[in-house]
Amino acid sequence: MRSGGPVKARLQISDVAYTYAGRTPTRALDGVTLDVLDNEFVAIVGPVGCGKTTLLRIVSGFLQPARGTVLCDGAPVTGPSPARGYVFQEEAIFPWMTVRDNLEFGLLAGRVEPAVRATTVAELVGLIGLRGYEQAYPKELSAGMSKMVEVARVLATDPSILLLDEPFGPLDAQTRGRMQDALSALWARRKRTVVLVTHDVEEAIWLADRIVVFSPRPGRVKTQVAVELARPRPAEVRLSPAFSEIKRTVWRELGLMGG
Amino acid sequence: MIAAAGSSRLQRALLSFAVLAAVYWIASEIGSRVLPQRIWMVAHYVENVQLLPTYASLAEEMVFLIRSGILAQSLLASGSRVLAGVALGALVGITLGLATASAARLEYLAEPWIAFFRFTPAFALLPLFVLWFGLGEVSKVLLIAAGVAIVTLQGAFDGARRVPRVYFDAARSLGAGAGLVLRRLVIPAAVPSVLASLRIAVALAWVTMVVAELIKPTMPSLGYLLALAGAYPRVPTMLIGIVTIGALVLASDALALWVDQRATRWMRRRDA
Repeated sequence: MRSGGPVKARLQISDVAYTYAGRTPTRALDGVTLDVLDNEFVAIVGPVGCGKTTLLRIVSGFLQPARGTVLCDGAPVTGPSPARGYVFQEEAIFPWMTVRDNLEFGLLAGRVEPAVRATTVAELVGLIGLRGYEQAYPKELSAGMSKMVEVARVLATDPSILLLDEPFGPLDAQTRGRMQDALSALWARRKRTVVLVTHDVEEAIWLADRIVVFSPRPGRVKTQVAVELARPRPAEVRLSPAFSEIKRTVWRELGLMGG
Repeated sequence: MIAAAGSSRLQRALLSFAVLAAVYWIASEIGSRVLPQRIWMVAHYVENVQLLPTYASLAEEMVFLIRSGILAQSLLASGSRVLAGVALGALVGITLGLATASAARLEYLAEPWIAFFRFTPAFALLPLFVLWFGLGEVSKVLLIAAGVAIVTLQGAFDGARRVPRVYFDAARSLGAGAGLVLRRLVIPAAVPSVLASLRIAVALAWVTMVVAELIKPTMPSLGYLLALAGAYPRVPTMLIGIVTIGALVLASDALALWVDQRATRWMRRRDA
């Protein structure tokens, strides 16, 4: 683990708990403590309903924790902000806007001047390989490309943290693979602190520097696994013994494998 | 693809009108020989009534109505009434619908009313309007506007309410304020539903116009033309009036549909 060094944590989550109100209140999170370093790519994996998404929504500011604190760049999180870019599980690309208008939305909200907006959009379009599709509506894009537009839309406002909530969840396996490669390439060019929530262990290993394994509800940090695979990671890495070894460890922690 | 589908629909419509016209031709040729020309009306007999006028007498009547300028004046008067009513009603209805859907407190107060008015015919307001605004122009336009407002309010309200929550969350996390959310999220997302309701409202506006004009016919108007034709009675005039109104409804519906399709090109369509 790389904690403790001179590198300051970008995100500090301390003792966060959350309970969903209702006729039968559900304890989603109970005492989660986690630091994420600058430019670190952290993946959170865990069983369904372990509160991974709840934690991400607390970090983004959509939810207020019942207990504990979240500090981003040293300041407490009080509500959603473009400083913490959130990519949703659901399709959140605005279907009535063209690719350009979608990418520009955050800049428009931030009252960025038109010339800067245009250059930023042009750069992002190139980054996700959608040059020529600026005027296309989302219905003309594949589900995978729509998701990449959502990622780029969040990057437009230059957030200090990227929060990805199962971004490739509904995609088929092949598209998923291609989108993971695209995200990996994007991250290499636009270094950023990333917290990824996923149920896909291979996706977590392929993308992350560190994997945080959650326990079943109420969610707690069960264990953390460092992914010490050199970057850039070629496709064959997925078949390497080191990769399999990490997979075995994570699966065991998730209770999916005996021993 | 779309052009081909459109032209085949047009061809089908033309064919079906042609068939109807042919059937009417046969019926009227037989009818003019067989049907009685002397009709008992209220308290006396009326002579020379054509219950199913032939094309010849329809053409003669048409020429008279056009030459005298009666048809054009009636069209202009009734058309501008409908236009004014639609414009006013849509403005009020859409504004109220969007406002109600966007403001939780307003919605709390207004939703029962929206449910109440959903199936209330605007015609029910007529006696009240006559009492308040008299039998003149104001009553007629307001009656049309009321019908249009009820329908478009519903459309705007439903459209704005059905915007998925995740869009609002995405906009918020991108830093958008209430104004931007309204302009770039709520309004465009509600457009399909608003336009669909507007299409219904426009058709309803013509119906309301006819009813309003029949209740208090004023010269010149299509309703007056119909009322006058009924009083004589002159069936050719009636038929021309009815067909004219039908054609206007069809034309305005086609226009509304065209606007709808142009404005919602971003939508995923089942046939696309």
